Amino acid sequence: MAETGRLRQAASAGPLLSPVTLVRVAIILGALSIWELLAHSGWLYRDVVPSLTRIGAALVDLLSHGDYYFNLGVTVGEIAAALTIGGMAGLAVGILLGANRFLSKAFEAYLYYLGPTPKIIFFPIMIMWFGVGPESKIALGTLSCFFPIALSVAAGMRQIDKVLIRVGRSFRANTMQMVWKIYLPAMRHPIINGVRLGLGMALIGTLLAETKLSNKGIGFLIIQAYSTFDMPQMYAQLIVLFVLAIGANALVGRLGGLANIKSK
Amino acid sequence: MSSSSPPRIAGAILTVDDVTVRFETPEGPVIAADDVSFTVKDGEFLSIIGPSGCGKSTVFNVIGGLLTHHEGTVRVAGETINGPHQSIGMVFQEESTFPWRTVTANVAFPLELTGMPKQKRIERARYFIKMVGLDGFENRYPGELSGGMRQRVSLARTLASEPKILLMDEPFAALDEQTRLLLGDKVLQIQQQLRQTTLLITHNITEAVQMSDRILVMTYRPGKVKRIVDIDLPRPRTSEIVGSEAFGRYVAQIWNDLREEASRGLRDEEAHVLHHEAASS
Repeated sequence: MAETGRLRQAASAGPLLSPVTLVRVAIILGALSIWELLAHSGWLYRDVVPSLTRIGAALVDLLSHGDYYFNLGVTVGEIAAALTIGGMAGLAVGILLGANRFLSKAFEAYLYYLGPTPKIIFFPIMIMWFGVGPESKIALGTLSCFFPIALSVAAGMRQIDKVLIRVGRSFRANTMQMVWKIYLPAMRHPIINGVRLGLGMALIGTLLAETKLSNKGIGFLIIQAYSTFDMPQMYAQLIVLFVLAIGANALVGRLGGLANIKSK
Repeated sequence: MSSSSPPRIAGAILTVDDVTVRFETPEGPVIAADDVSFTVKDGEFLSIIGPSGCGKSTVFNVIGGLLTHHEGTVRVAGETINGPHQSIGMVFQEESTFPWRTVTANVAFPLELTGMPKQKRIERARYFIKMVGLDGFENRYPGELSGGMRQRVSLARTLASEPKILLMDEPFAALDEQTRLLLGDKVLQIQQQLRQTTLLITHNITEAVQMSDRILVMTYRPGKVKRIVDIDLPRPRTSEIVGSEAFGRYVAQIWNDLREEASRGLRDEEAHVLHHEAASS
């Protein structure tokens, strides 16, 4: 406690540009200069490394077209749907497996083996079942985020302090009250952790599916820019996607922080 | 008073009648409680004392309705118990506050289950928080409190459900000696203020004599009722009574009963260890 307090003090009391910040800025500036040098050297084939000004122009162009926001909306919608469906299913399955020893012994091994399997190998099946539209992307995203959430919730369920369950029973809580007032709040950390992992998985699954075969969404735009060899456009897309992914992660991270404060 | 109580006594609020509990273990069946019978009168403070492994906690779980595969009957005000009963409030030995709820929300928990309006249950919760001496900590989380304070939150939570019988399983076992004595005073004070019928499970003789009207001594496995001792000490009592001569006599008398059982338990444990060593070598 005192240790962290001192560290925080040191960080805030230091000069505005600490050595760490300076090094970080220097790395970015260095990378950008090398990039720009490469772009003007003529060593590489045509547009493989376009100049920063052309990427900047493409970025402005990208963000000023409504078309981009439509595709962005499609992808965000797909990820949200995947996380909702996969999250609910994962929560339900996790609670069942965590509560019932027989079910857990019978089925959990499958989850452990299927969990780390790259879900993209199921994409051809998803296309046959759901078509090339957003539905097959949602299906793959759902499949991707289901496993980490289910496993995390099942483990969390087993870690619940047994005495809290006895307290609930001694006050004659009914099943719904037990779930809402004891099981779920007692599992808040594993649930949030599962959702964090699940969001990452849903993001990867959805975007990967979009780049494979699709007709709208950000993954589709990126692969289209690539196949028409519009490199400045492609880099602009990647930059926006990168920023969005950081934002999403920060959002879920804040969610976790909130739960920590509430239960200190 | 003899160890065999008749099934019905005038003024008895709790009647435990021929309760026997068997557990199946890998080493064969174990009888945790054997033919346990006793009654608790309205407003009385009764302690059950016995060595580790005598089945005290089993009796606690049967009366609390958390263990239902027993033989015999438990009746509260004439009503046979088959599962947790509204008239019985349990305080557990383990840390049992909800870490995600504030002190107020913890204490209001049983009221929330019955659907009491929010404003009213906060008011009720505040009343019991004050009673256990935690006013000023209403909005703290259990993680910010000491072990003794958390156990007081558990006590207030159970009191808030306004049980006819307060059932406590070694509620002070995890606390240090000073905290234990002071908390004991608090419990006595509350018990006298509410005229709360209380059943305390403990292995601490001092604690039992300090608080009880009667003490039930249990035997080591299988857990039977060995003796019921009337504690005829003046009330109101505090921890100061611990020094008195009469107090010392009661402690000596109960220790005399208990020593035999405790040493049987100890021999049994030693035999158990040796048996395991022989089996594994």
